[in-house]
Amino acid sequence: MTNNRTRRRAGAALALALGAAGIATGAAAQDCTTKVGAVLPTSVDWGRPIAETAQWVVDQVNEAGGVNDCQVEMILRDTQVDPKVGVDAAKALVDLDGVQLLIGAVSSGVSLPILTSVTVPAGVMQMSCCTSSTALTELAKEGKTNGLWFRTFATSGVQAAVGAKVAQDQGWKKVAVFYKNDDWGQDIGKLVAQNLESMGIEVTAQVAINDGQPSYRAEAASALSGQPDAVYMALYPNEGTATAREWLALGGTQNMILANSLKSEEFRENVGMQYLENAWGTDTASPRADSATAFVDAYEARFDSPPNGPGLANSYDATMIALMAMEAAGEDATGAEIAAAVPRVTDPEGTPVTADAEGFAKAAEIFAEGGNVMYQGATGNVRFDEYGDVSAPAVIWKFTEDGIEEVEYLSLEEVNDFMASLQD
Amino acid sequence: MIGLISYLVFFTTVATILSIAVLGLNLQWGNTGLFNGGVAAFFGAGAYGTLILGGTPQEGHIGGFALPYPVALAGGMAAAGLLAWLVGRLTLKLRHDYLAIATFGVAVTFENVMRNAEWLSGGARGLRGFDRPLQELFASPLAYNAVFLGFVVVLLVATYAFLQRLVASPFGRLLRAIREDEEAAQSLGKSPARVRLISFVTGSVIMGLAGGLYGTFYAFVSPQDVLPILTFQIWAMLIVGGAGNNRGAILGAFLIWGAWTASGWALSRYAPVEAQIYAGSIQYVLIGSVIVGMLLWRPQGLFPERLVVSQRGRHPVPAAAE
Repeated sequence: MTNNRTRRRAGAALALALGAAGIATGAAAQDCTTKVGAVLPTSVDWGRPIAETAQWVVDQVNEAGGVNDCQVEMILRDTQVDPKVGVDAAKALVDLDGVQLLIGAVSSGVSLPILTSVTVPAGVMQMSCCTSSTALTELAKEGKTNGLWFRTFATSGVQAAVGAKVAQDQGWKKVAVFYKNDDWGQDIGKLVAQNLESMGIEVTAQVAINDGQPSYRAEAASALSGQPDAVYMALYPNEGTATAREWLALGGTQNMILANSLKSEEFRENVGMQYLENAWGTDTASPRADSATAFVDAYEARFDSPPNGPGLANSYDATMIALMAMEAAGEDATGAEIAAAVPRVTDPEGTPVTADAEGFAKAAEIFAEGGNVMYQGATGNVRFDEYGDVSAPAVIWKFTEDGIEEVEYLSLEEVNDFMASLQD
Repeated sequence: MIGLISYLVFFTTVATILSIAVLGLNLQWGNTGLFNGGVAAFFGAGAYGTLILGGTPQEGHIGGFALPYPVALAGGMAAAGLLAWLVGRLTLKLRHDYLAIATFGVAVTFENVMRNAEWLSGGARGLRGFDRPLQELFASPLAYNAVFLGFVVVLLVATYAFLQRLVASPFGRLLRAIREDEEAAQSLGKSPARVRLISFVTGSVIMGLAGGLYGTFYAFVSPQDVLPILTFQIWAMLIVGGAGNNRGAILGAFLIWGAWTASGWALSRYAPVEAQIYAGSIQYVLIGSVIVGMLLWRPQGLFPERLVVSQRGRHPVPAAAE
């Protein structure tokens, strides 16, 4: 009896040891690492979650066995939102660590010099989650990105077009535009004004809002002088709240069009629901796709909070698409080869795969057989155009007593058709 | 190996460009005692000037004159000099901290004008469309970067030689005399206002040269390049290296820029994964600590100013005499 038990125990121990050895050899077979670089503003409060999301994707891919059976190591460098520091970090990643894939950066003032002086000369693929400036599209049009540049942040064009559509649908004739005074705000403010005018709607004023001012009374007053019957706001919640309050206090109209940056509970509570009955918002980042809701659920499970910061869904997709493209390009692929494999990940004819570890494993199998996949990501079915820009489906939303409600959904085709009609 | 060389070439180029700017500040602060808190504006004027004059035409703003590179670079320096002359005429009557506040304001104004004057600077999107001179002659980017490094090193040496001669000349003595005691200098028949302006403009033109080279190297400049952090970085380099000593200014630039980038690299490599996300913040703390430590234990800098008796009187007093 005792003997038996000992024997059994010994057997169990042996099995365990063998199993452990098996795992050890398994790990040894996988004892390689693929380095990828990330250059993100981690020293800024809103930049940190973007980096955490990217790291989370890497963890999921490693869970699924890594890229081409190698564990992925993401080397994360801080940009400090200083172009010099960001470019140096990118250069060190490319030259010293030999990465063929660089994730980043956030501000276009950092992304653009990295692209022109580091990644393009070295032939490294660069994928940004959050750079919005149209300057990069122009660079691509001039053929200076060599097809190495991608971003998952829909250019401001989509939102500007849908914002103008709201004004048209509501029959507003004179619109004042407030925009945040940075690259994103200047772009979107200018685009929305162009779109409105091409529809025959008068733009009475375009007013820049600088961050951190104690009062925006002067700005609100100057926008009011043209007697607009609606106002467009491309602002962030802090300045947006202050501007909206001054605007309403001075007797400005409650007909508002809001960019996605104001899609926040904070803005609704601080301005007051009674003033937002006729406020219409636009957004690109929440397509009607199961994959997007799945992302929100998975994010909450991982970080114990909803993905409410800017660029989180975009960061997820940027990292996942880039790693899938690396998988598709095969072992020891160069940056150009990885970039060339991106269409295999976002092929509308391909097999749909989800945005998680299983999705990655499935995509890897399909690539091994020579097939293509259609990645269904946190921002929907992402597709890049020839300039590395992504178009996106759009939604029009409104605030309600207990949250935010979608009013209208425009599919990718509808958005593209509408934007094409504006060009004429 | 080739990667290491490529990175070192890149790093040395940026550090060399920054050290030219530090030399400009050293003329103003180290030798003349002018507290310029607006380094970023003069650096930026050089960068924007060079790119506007030397760039290709872009939609939406002026520029794209596509002038030959030396003319564009000289134009950038002239822009910085002109800005310095205007600012100097207005503010050089101010002393010490008042001058610092006024020039700091100029730098913030400059950044805001560049951010908003889209017709001039492309606004927040920045200024691009500049083709690096002679780039098409080089097949590999590394070869081009190496040649460009040679070019900036030559300019650094030229600037250094010029400043060394200037400081050793009677005019250099005059600068120091004004720095030490303006009224005493005035009592000897010198005109401090004029001399201060000359020093301020000369130093700013040198900063403009650094800015022009910086813009050339990245072929891009945006308002993010001229934030107050740049002024802080240049000052930190001068203080650590040693104000009043040109060699110290150059060494300080290399040391601080080296520490700035190496700390980020080391943290990304050796910090545990959980701490990676905070590496950026830790880096700020480290850099701040180095500067505070320097101020506490070696306020004169690594290479302090060497005061020499440049002209002995007729009856020299032996140095060892008590």
